[in-house]
Amino acid sequence: MSSTSSRSSSRLVVAALSALVGATALTGCTTRLPPLPEDPRRELASVPFFPQTIHQCGPAALATVLGATGVTTTPEQLSPLVYIPGRRGSLQVEMLAAARSQGRLPFVLEPRFAALQAELTAGNPVLVLQDLGALGIRRWHFAVVVGFAPDQDVLILRSGTERRRLERREQFLRTWQAGDYWAAVLTHPNQPPATATGSSFIRALAATERYLAPESISAANAVALARWPADPLVLLANGNQAYAAGQLTTAISRYRALLAIEPTHLAGRNNLASALLDAGCPRQALAQAEQAASLLPTDSPLSAAVNDTLVKARAAAPVAATSTCSAE
Amino acid sequence: MQFRQTVLAITAACFLALGLQTTTASAGVIGTQAYLSAEARAGHLADINAAISRADVQAQLVSLGVDPANAVTRAAALSDAELAQVAQEMNNLPAGGDGLLAVVGIVFVVLMILELTGVIDIFKKF
Repeated sequence: MSSTSSRSSSRLVVAALSALVGATALTGCTTRLPPLPEDPRRELASVPFFPQTIHQCGPAALATVLGATGVTTTPEQLSPLVYIPGRRGSLQVEMLAAARSQGRLPFVLEPRFAALQAELTAGNPVLVLQDLGALGIRRWHFAVVVGFAPDQDVLILRSGTERRRLERREQFLRTWQAGDYWAAVLTHPNQPPATATGSSFIRALAATERYLAPESISAANAVALARWPADPLVLLANGNQAYAAGQLTTAISRYRALLAIEPTHLAGRNNLASALLDAGCPRQALAQAEQAASLLPTDSPLSAAVNDTLVKARAAAPVAATSTCSAE
Repeated sequence: MQFRQTVLAITAACFLALGLQTTTASAGVIGTQAYLSAEARAGHLADINAAISRADVQAQLVSLGVDPANAVTRAAALSDAELAQVAQEMNNLPAGGDGLLAVVGIVFVVLMILELTGVIDIFKKF
């Protein structure tokens, strides 16, 4: 009799503990949150939702952020690009690489909540990596933050099988911290994110270039120039863009603007020399090419290009007396 | 092991040949991409390292169950810096997957501990 009662009470303990552990792992130890009605002032309600199947939170979250930038795709289409069966998951770098292959620029945000908030305010859903594990067991998970309600201190996420998952900021920060506060936004090449810099934008654009049409690249360069007119890398990219399109006067003026800001910019100096040469100004070109060569560090991967420009400028300079140089 | 190294070397050589082709084509003018990669690299040795990492990442992806054709495009889509990181830490980097099995695992471990410490008694029945 006593054995039966002890057995049934131990069953009760087991049931209670299982429920507790399960609940802890699933919700991250939260008390129930009050309902939060959808409100376009604090949440990006139009961001699509793709409920994940087992282990497929990477493709699902990626389809969500890509969908928000106008790429029509599904987790099933993205899975062959990011899912690793042997790891039962997806790596962060592959998520970024897959975004590039879809013609979108990925940006890893500064690891601060303020950066995440700034992007949300600018209308960009934020891809995040969370650790939903418990008791020291890691359980990495990709989700997409689509909103933040400061008055309730609650974040709104597209996560797993939940279209509108609510998480208290404190709870979110705990799960986000384990992955070093990793967060990323994907944007159309014409729409640099709120927290991007000229340099980070051009780097993202250069890494994505091979997947973009030439018109998209030139439009993106123009957007960058309008937003960061004094960034050396933006000026170099715009100079190169104009040069490749045969607009020598524009190219020369971009390179000059760059060198006014950073006189020791090797690539800018070399490309200015090359553009001057093509514009029929071999004397100025030679002066620039010589300066570029003097800036060249030993064993630089750029030495072939710089020496090539110098040789060409030297060959052209002696016959420069009657040149038609108009780029002064 | 020797076979794997041979395959890696051949693949690396192919990538390298492709890579050199694109860099020599732009001599004279320094393109934005060439400038950015020059900024990150010391020289041709870095080209070789990147090619080896690429072949290595590709092989690791295949060994983890990725379709070989997809592994080629996926390794090709990574930047040099990303390749270096993935090649070394493929098995340690966080892989977001939301493993529900982990939850089952946690419950099991807790039950196991309780069982062993004598708090509960459910496994002896079977």
